[in-house]
Amino acid sequence: MGDLSIADLVVEYSSGGYAVRPINGLSLDVPAGSLMILLGPSGCGKTTLLSCLGGILRPKSGSITFDGVDITALEGGVLAKYRRDQVGIVFQAFNLVPSLTALENVMVPLRAAGMSRSATRQRAEELLTQVGLADRLKHRPGDLSGGQQQRVAVARAIALDPPLILADEPTAHLDFIQVEEVLRLIRSLAQGERVVVVATHDSRMLPLADRVVDLVPAVASTSRPPETVHLKAGEVLFEQSTMGDLIYVVSEGEFEIVREVAEGGEELVKVARPGDYFGEFGVLFNLPRSATVRARTDAKAVGYTAHAFRERLGVKGLGDLIERRELPGG
Amino acid sequence: MLFAALRDMRWRMRRLVIAVVSTGLIFAMTLVLTGLANGFRVEAQRTVDSLGVDAFVVKAGAAGPFLGATPFAEVDLARLAAEPGVVAAAPLATAQLTIKEGTSTRNTTAFGAPEHGPGMPRVKQGRAPSTPDEVAVSSTLDWHVGNDIQAGAHALRIVGIVPNSTALAKRPNIFLTTEGLQQLAYNGQPLVTSIGVVGAPRQLPSGYQALDRAAGVNDLLSPVKSPAGAITIMATLLWIVAVLIVGSLVYLSALERLRDFAVFKAIGVPTRSILAGLALQAVVVALLAAVLGVILAQLLAPLFPMTVVMPASAYLALPLVAILVGLLASLAGLRRAVTVDPALAFGGP
Repeated sequence: MGDLSIADLVVEYSSGGYAVRPINGLSLDVPAGSLMILLGPSGCGKTTLLSCLGGILRPKSGSITFDGVDITALEGGVLAKYRRDQVGIVFQAFNLVPSLTALENVMVPLRAAGMSRSATRQRAEELLTQVGLADRLKHRPGDLSGGQQQRVAVARAIALDPPLILADEPTAHLDFIQVEEVLRLIRSLAQGERVVVVATHDSRMLPLADRVVDLVPAVASTSRPPETVHLKAGEVLFEQSTMGDLIYVVSEGEFEIVREVAEGGEELVKVARPGDYFGEFGVLFNLPRSATVRARTDAKAVGYTAHAFRERLGVKGLGDLIERRELPGG
Repeated sequence: MLFAALRDMRWRMRRLVIAVVSTGLIFAMTLVLTGLANGFRVEAQRTVDSLGVDAFVVKAGAAGPFLGATPFAEVDLARLAAEPGVVAAAPLATAQLTIKEGTSTRNTTAFGAPEHGPGMPRVKQGRAPSTPDEVAVSSTLDWHVGNDIQAGAHALRIVGIVPNSTALAKRPNIFLTTEGLQQLAYNGQPLVTSIGVVGAPRQLPSGYQALDRAAGVNDLLSPVKSPAGAITIMATLLWIVAVLIVGSLVYLSALERLRDFAVFKAIGVPTRSILAGLALQAVVVALLAAVLGVILAQLLAPLFPMTVVMPASAYLALPLVAILVGLLASLAGLRRAVTVDPALAFGGP
């Protein structure tokens, strides 16, 4: 079994014709036998990263190496074999097949791996016993509690004893009693040489982790004086998909706000002139920049932190800002 | 993933039953229609076989010995009977007649032949007609020996019953002496539509041709060619309906199971296994429907007022066609399953 290594990973997809990069240049290493939690709000790329690790989604660039094999280079049958033999996935909302019993759900990957029917049944029974469901073998998912369904999902994920387990929001649909039993189970999986990667926005899970990767690190938002920037024509102020902590108000010159389109190239969204402001949404809502800003002419802008900007807007200013009303003078 | 496909069928049992019953009914109707089209030929074949002749000698150029015949004088009968290879020869005549028995009026196909044949069928009850005013009628008329019937201005007495003798979509046959038919149809002129021959004449008098039984059957079938064609078209349309029913079932099933397929793919189940499961569902539905169709066809056939004879080949072909129907019908569902993105499995509820 081996370590998991991610280097300069970029995932890009098209959204409304624009290129969106939920993961932009991610690099990390996870040693064998550890549990890593991917933390972040909805839409930050947790599930996207899990899909890449599971060989389901191909990144735009970068590499994912597991046990010395670059997953991003796998194709066809080899990739399907990797998915089946090397990866076990615990899906959000369990995703058990409703027409199959707990036993049969666990049998699916075993049968797909070519095991005989009797061996499959025996192994599935062992696994369900291991997760404490020996008395629920013949129950369909609809007859099981959320926690029990999640345990069946875990049994299915570890059916072929894969060295990499991916769990997507494993506690999302569970009450606190069920959460406890699932957390214990997931922690117990990260033994030996196995790597467990859990994507969640639930910070209560953090004590489980050997390593936590925050996919949307909080940007320092300490109040500091406005910062004036001078740019030559063509210079980039900030790039799309990056994080930032300043909202800019144009003082002199012009800035072009452009968005990358899915087919390649850029689309001009707006030209910002003196008095215009931009970059407010990413800063206020802790989202990546949705566009690239570049000086169209020699230009000057003043960068405000969220706190300073709010002060400048006044009490009702935030609503005006979201509706993109003009700034008061000053 | 065949076991998953079978479990899914149990899971959606109600819908499955509806599809099987609907498709089974379609298959039954298709079988009955096939039986109807085949029935035309079977009853024509029975009628021709019952005449007991090996060949029909007709005027050169005539389309057939019965309905397509050109009536001709029986002057060459003796010459033909003397030809080498001819065991027996008899003057035969055919005409469409309307007859009345009491208040009941029926359209019939009338055949004229000598009392002792060839050309006179076996009589089940009574005897063959021996005089021009006697007639043997098909048992399907449900008339009795000794009853009097009227054919135009002529009164005839029923002297015999011929078992189940019909042609032209269950139109009953009646049998008279050749002279009797000549009186009814040709004003007593000694005209015939063919000379029925037992044996194989090696030579024919000039101006004549010999037609075998198959040609006789085709001649009797000629008026029902168009209805038979229409029935065949209906049967073809029903096959298409069956494909659509099974196809809808499989496609809906595929649509509802997209998340399942995504999960299967994400955990490494080969796409071909998923497709095999879907195709299996279609084939099972089609085969169950075929079994039901055979049973329903047996129940429906007697309700039709025409001869329905389902050929053995139809029973043998039905399961094969059903499998083909199933596979064809599952194409849309299979296509949908192939395109499922395994990333869909990561979605929420």
